[in-house]
Amino acid sequence: MSEQAAVEAFLFREARLMDEMDYSGWLALWDKDGVYQVPIGAGGEPGKVSIVNDDYPRIEQRVARLKSGSVLAVEGARGAMRRVVSNIEILSHREDKCEVGSNFILGVARTAEQQLWIGRSVHALRRAGEDFRIARKTVFLINSERELPLLQFII
Amino acid sequence: MTDAPLAQDAVVRGSVYRDPGLFQRELERIWYRVWVYVGHESEVPKPGDFVRRQIGLQPVIMVRGNDDKVRVFYNRCRHRANLVCFAERGVAKSIVCPYHGWTYANTGELVAPTFDDGYDYDLEKERFGLTPLPRQDSYRGLVFASVAAEGQSLAEHLGGVTEFLDLFMDLSPEGEIAVDAGEQKVVYRGNWKYMPENSMEGDYHGPFIHGVAFDLYAKRTGFDVTALATDEVPDVIRSLPGGHMVEDYRGAPMDPPKRQPSAARLEYIAKLKARHGEAKAAAMLSTMAPLLYVFPNLMYVITHLRVVQPVSVDRTHSYYFPVMLKGAPAEINEARLSDHEFMFGSAGFVSPDDVEIMERNQVGMQARGDDRLYIGRGMHRERSMPDGGRSGMTRDETHLRGFWRHYVSLMEDGE
Ligand code: FES
Ligand SMILES: [Fe+2]
Repeated sequence: MSEQAAVEAFLFREARLMDEMDYSGWLALWDKDGVYQVPIGAGGEPGKVSIVNDDYPRIEQRVARLKSGSVLAVEGARGAMRRVVSNIEILSHREDKCEVGSNFILGVARTAEQQLWIGRSVHALRRAGEDFRIARKTVFLINSERELPLLQFII
Repeated sequence: MTDAPLAQDAVVRGSVYRDPGLFQRELERIWYRVWVYVGHESEVPKPGDFVRRQIGLQPVIMVRGNDDKVRVFYNRCRHRANLVCFAERGVAKSIVCPYHGWTYANTGELVAPTFDDGYDYDLEKERFGLTPLPRQDSYRGLVFASVAAEGQSLAEHLGGVTEFLDLFMDLSPEGEIAVDAGEQKVVYRGNWKYMPENSMEGDYHGPFIHGVAFDLYAKRTGFDVTALATDEVPDVIRSLPGGHMVEDYRGAPMDPPKRQPSAARLEYIAKLKARHGEAKAAAMLSTMAPLLYVFPNLMYVITHLRVVQPVSVDRTHSYYFPVMLKGAPAEINEARLSDHEFMFGSAGFVSPDDVEIMERNQVGMQARGDDRLYIGRGMHRERSMPDGGRSGMTRDETHLRGFWRHYVSLMEDGE
């Protein structure tokens, strides 16, 4: 399989795990020192608040909370969801690591109203045998600087 | 208007959350009348820095002029009322209206109308500067403005709540906060009044809706926030004249975390002691700073200033501005920001439960039956305080009753 095809297969798998709310499966994709961020705007400025800024222990906590089954906000935000991941490009390559950019459109059927989430993800992936692990994932929502409804699932 | 009062003693009418007519009345009677929080001076540190804000539904800007003074103007061009400032924040040597190019100094004066030779009278520039809010004042960097030309002074409006504003600002070893870490913005489908009500009563609802988050937080930091509400303590819940609400934890000390304090924490403690003396510093560090609500739109909650912004009767924006402590070791502020991100914003672990509750509240409120909400907890034991307010035990609803008394006094006087 070409590098491009392998990367695409990995991102599609991640998308399916997120869509199906298989949070344990999603967590297993991560490096143990992974960093997951959803900045406000371009991000990267130290000392500025983010929407999500998780080190690995906090990714684990996020997953624990999403899975607990007793969190109101999670229950309320829960809805069937499907996303399309596209425009996948390998942006850079170094030894066993590559940086991958992609876009997504996510629809969430929540109550009568369908929500739309749109953004760009940048993954730093590390080769792990035939597979990859996520060393870093940064998600740039197109509306990150606007007033957001609750984001109580994984993007 | 219905005959029954909108709220009285332990009863609140459902219509206050639901009736578009009352929302309009709130704009006139509350938002366009009292002092409203606009922003903190540290958000505009340099000459020309500006931020866009709202008072009720009216757009305003807060801008620091070249003379270093912070002013609040209506965000409306004096020519034909275009939004003079579109960006949400930025730096402007001068403010140029995009429509026909009228240019204002960042101190407000009209510098240059355009094609002014075409006006058939002498356009007096002095008469066409940006319109300042009729009243503007500040307290320790918190800038307030009022759309009404007359009314109480800011000092009168704030009254006793400054004691509690001081308490959290004094967490800074320099006695100054910095609101310079950006902001999270949240929208919810519910009335604006749920936000202050819910934000100031975490001890009552906390165990029901935040259990998972409090647990995770204790595991991570060693702080057990539920300890604050294990026993009911007198005078934690405070209502102040002016509709302000406080959760004052000075009588409810927390166990320090069992783990060894970091070097940064020790340095921070030493700095607080140097500034405030052993006794006061120890008292400040023994518990959580008060949570407070300054009527009608400002809150301080654990890590941040929170601003509630009504959009319509059933739609509200909420802004979360993390508060950094000037003079504190970098690690202390980093930990504050990290705690903030853990708890707050759309993807946080705590406040989304509150927002979810507010949205469900708006739905529940559509069912009439007996259209009264009951806020009677602790009514039989509330105490009058020297500041003119009243106090109750940890989970009492004394402060909500104070909020509603003030609300009714504004909404129902001088029909
Ligand atoms: S409306 Fe501003 S220049 Fe005309
Ligand atoms: Fe809460």
